[in-house]
Amino acid sequence: MKRFSIVLAGFFLLISFEFAYSEESVEQIVDKANKAAYYQGTGGKAKVEMTITDSQGRIRKRVFKILRLDLADGGQQKFYVYFSEPADVEDMTYLVWKHLGRDDDRWLYLPALDLLRRIAASDNRSSFVGSTFVYEDISGRALDQDEHQLISSEGETYLVKNTPISKDSVEFSYYNVYIDKNSYLPIRAEYFNKQGKLSRIVEALETGDVQGYPTVKKSKASDLENGSNTVTEFSEIQYDLGLDESIFTERYLKRPPRKWLD
Amino acid sequence: MFRKIIHLSIKKPKTVFAICFIVVVLAAFQFPRIKVDTDPENMLSKDEFVRVFDHDVKKEFALYDFIVLGIVNNETERGVFTKDSLNRIFAITEKIKDIEGVITREIIAPSTKDNIRQGGLGVVVFEWLMKSPIETEAEAVFLRDEAMDNPMFKGSMVSDSGKALCLYIPIEKKNISYRVATQIRKIVSDLGSGEKYYITGLPVAEDTFGFEMFKQMAISAPLAGLIIFLLMFFFFRNIRMIIPPMILAVITIIVTMGLLIGFGFPVHIMSSMIPIFLMPIAVLDSVHILSEFFDKYPRYKDKKKTITHVIEELFTPMLFTSLTSAVGFFSLSFSPIPPVQAFGVFVALGIMVAWLLTITFIPAYVSVIKEDSLKDFGHILSEEAAHSGLLDKSLRLIHRFTLKHFKAIIGFSGLLIVISIYGISHIQVNDNPVKWFNKNHEIRIADKILNEHFAGTYTAYLVIKNQSKTEEIFKEPKMLAFIEGLENYLIEKGNVGKITSLADVVKKVHYELFDGDKTYNIIPETKKAVSQCLISYENSHKPDDLWHMVTPDYSKLNVWLQLKSGDNKDTDKVLRQVDAYFSANPPPYKVDYNWAGLTYINVVWQNKMVKGMLVNFLGSFFIVFFMMTFLFRSPLRGLISMVPLTLTILFIYGLLGFIGKDYDMPVAVLSALTLGLSIDFAIHFIQRAREIYDTSPNWPKTSEEMFKGPARAITRNAFVVAIGFLPLLAAPLVPYRTVGFFMFTIMLVSSIATLFILPALITAFPQAIFGKEEKKMVCNCKYCVIISFVVSLSIVYLSRSYTEYGLGITSLVAVLVVTIASGICSKIAKHKFCLVEKKET
Repeated sequence: MKRFSIVLAGFFLLISFEFAYSEESVEQIVDKANKAAYYQGTGGKAKVEMTITDSQGRIRKRVFKILRLDLADGGQQKFYVYFSEPADVEDMTYLVWKHLGRDDDRWLYLPALDLLRRIAASDNRSSFVGSTFVYEDISGRALDQDEHQLISSEGETYLVKNTPISKDSVEFSYYNVYIDKNSYLPIRAEYFNKQGKLSRIVEALETGDVQGYPTVKKSKASDLENGSNTVTEFSEIQYDLGLDESIFTERYLKRPPRKWLD
Repeated sequence: MFRKIIHLSIKKPKTVFAICFIVVVLAAFQFPRIKVDTDPENMLSKDEFVRVFDHDVKKEFALYDFIVLGIVNNETERGVFTKDSLNRIFAITEKIKDIEGVITREIIAPSTKDNIRQGGLGVVVFEWLMKSPIETEAEAVFLRDEAMDNPMFKGSMVSDSGKALCLYIPIEKKNISYRVATQIRKIVSDLGSGEKYYITGLPVAEDTFGFEMFKQMAISAPLAGLIIFLLMFFFFRNIRMIIPPMILAVITIIVTMGLLIGFGFPVHIMSSMIPIFLMPIAVLDSVHILSEFFDKYPRYKDKKKTITHVIEELFTPMLFTSLTSAVGFFSLSFSPIPPVQAFGVFVALGIMVAWLLTITFIPAYVSVIKEDSLKDFGHILSEEAAHSGLLDKSLRLIHRFTLKHFKAIIGFSGLLIVISIYGISHIQVNDNPVKWFNKNHEIRIADKILNEHFAGTYTAYLVIKNQSKTEEIFKEPKMLAFIEGLENYLIEKGNVGKITSLADVVKKVHYELFDGDKTYNIIPETKKAVSQCLISYENSHKPDDLWHMVTPDYSKLNVWLQLKSGDNKDTDKVLRQVDAYFSANPPPYKVDYNWAGLTYINVVWQNKMVKGMLVNFLGSFFIVFFMMTFLFRSPLRGLISMVPLTLTILFIYGLLGFIGKDYDMPVAVLSALTLGLSIDFAIHFIQRAREIYDTSPNWPKTSEEMFKGPARAITRNAFVVAIGFLPLLAAPLVPYRTVGFFMFTIMLVSSIATLFILPALITAFPQAIFGKEEKKMVCNCKYCVIISFVVSLSIVYLSRSYTEYGLGITSLVAVLVVTIASGICSKIAKHKFCLVEKKET
């Protein structure tokens, strides 16, 4: 079975509502939710503002633009991230080729050092530029990494419990996701640590329609262990821009494609 | 009024017993409310700057006190970096995470830390150092090499030799360390095998000490009591006569502790020592009474008459010995350290309780025992005389010696004073809670072994704060270079084992970004480049690790120093080195800096304690002198009575200097005890000598008389207490040994000093002690000046303790007061009424 994570990304699929959700299998539900959260349209762009607040109320900001191109719906994707804030990381760029079945490829360009590096990680659970979100929250967790179990379908949401198949590769023991029955957007994910305690929450704070796609406009990740949280706001959301795949290459990391970023 | 009380006690013993019983029951009822506080940090009051700052720093940088778990294996070539050992350590770490009170997310262990490394050409990898149990020996070697290559881990988590590991286990509160350490020991004994595990760290040492101290208390005080009991039995051979002092001691202790607890004071490391301090003091007076009672009973053959006579005879010396002891301890209430204040006040209180009981409970008890049981007393006396022939013979010897060789004694004393002062100049002020344990205690062993392998288990935090107008100065390469320079300077000086700061993180990330090329192990040239290194670091699994080293606005920097020694003198050296670096190398931006961490807190309260104790000691010295002057109606006699005490104190502290024992907390507190106890014998001696001299004004005869009864009482007292506390020398906790050593030495030296020096001085200047006294002391101009000098000193001392003024202003006032008083003195001395009085005498 499968699993996925909630949502940061701002691009979504158009969902057809004629499905009678009560008769759906859990596989169908998580598949739709995955596509709603990460694959709306064929791609798009958004401006992202992250506000990281730690347990002492100290605030840090991250502002960047993100471009997305889907090569296959529910399959391979490419992301391009361009940072504008904080000021001293302006022009920093970041590229992800998301694959199914193997590790993603990631590249990072640091303009001040004029340095382009591939970044590898043994897992996708490391922090996204110091925020409470992890990489998987941004790019999505492959459905085949978890077993999925429909716990409840009462009310407006499905509740799906997701248990990782490879327990050693993640810091949680399982997580529950609440999926909106209408939009199939994951609304809330609750992560339980190895001691069985609720340790992390990712939730959609605001959703709405953009070009007919149900879209998360504001989301929040909370780390209950260290008391920090990050609120992410999406603006300037546009879907189906017809982005050129050539943008998503190392060459463009050093020369950001201004046309798509302004 | 007191005489009435004594007579009433003899008349109505049952009332006395009933009152005692009620008071004891009331006091005992307070015991369940006991609050225990074993945290030495509470030596400083809660709003003390260093504590507030330390608390803020811990909060701001999310730091915790931690338990250090070191793992060493000397049997294998790679130490603990073998597959099996690492997997066991992995399992142990997982178990430790389940312990309540452990800050799981901040544990420093191979499986909880993220590493940056090379992943092939142009690839940087962020991954857990040890994500899961490993399967091959090659992985173990790889893990070791990676850890050794990371400045965050080398010297702290992995030993410099690359063979041992150290886990740092942060805990919510210091006072759970003993419990957590016990749970860790259990886990380790269940899961560990082959490797050796060592637990240390200041929190564990302090908390364990607190725990063992209470255990020790339960053994030491009763043991001392038992030995005192046996010794008294040896001297008096009448169980009924030695039971009352024991009961008296127990009542005193219960009432005092009941009051302490009842008033809501926590039982701190200091106050847990109250029973052991009260034990000898409470017994002392009753030993004097019993010793006299024992000597006099055969003469009167009537217990009531005997006890009345004895108590009346001893009333003044007992009152004054109690008062002086009480003053010695009460002076501790002026110390700037709250637990020491409570300790001083309640010991002083206990002394007065003991005194009150001595003049009520003892006569009451004597009046209810059957005259029959005392029948044998006279008989025993003659037998005793034969038995204690050694004691009497020695005393007679001393008697003759002091008369003949008084010059030699005085000369020798003078020499001893000079030697002692030389020894005192060598006293080293130093403390280290880990050294409160014996050398073979597991914490001491762990401390020694781990500090051999690692860069240091003692932690200090240097917090540097931006005071300039520039923002985010700790991203500036200039500033980081300054920090780097500071680190190199301190490491070169050798007192610091390892330093970890933001500069190290930046350098590590920088060279890893450049293919692991060590020529890039430098701080990049621009602020942007530094920022981009740091944001790369934030992509790890543990980006928050950064905020242990700097605040997110880059306005405050926290530098983690690891010290191999927890000795305050070594920490002190580091503090001075940092000051020196800052003044020799002005930082590129205006900053200020301050210290946090347990090692630093210990230095602060030690300094307060030592200085505070010195001031207290001098203050109470003058107050005692003042009291002596009044007791003996002459400053000269007062001064002479202070001689044995002064010699005792000089000798003891000189001895500390010579044997190289550090002047630490217990020693500082014991100075109060020295003062209070050493004066006792002198008071008894002079007071009795004067009484005897009054009846037969001949010094050699008086001396002969003195070396019978009174000297015997002094010697018995000294023996009882000194030997009673000898078992403490075998205690597993060093401060207890210190107490034992002090009690023994105080008793021994002050009794010897009293028995030799006082007679020698009297032989040399008989008029000084037996001289006719002025009706009014103020009539003697010299006396008057001395008194006003002492009074003003006492006032200075008292006001200094209560106000913020330093010695400057108050001492000036004191000089003024003395000058004016001297003028008044000479006027008074010439006044009519003095002239008249003089004519009369």
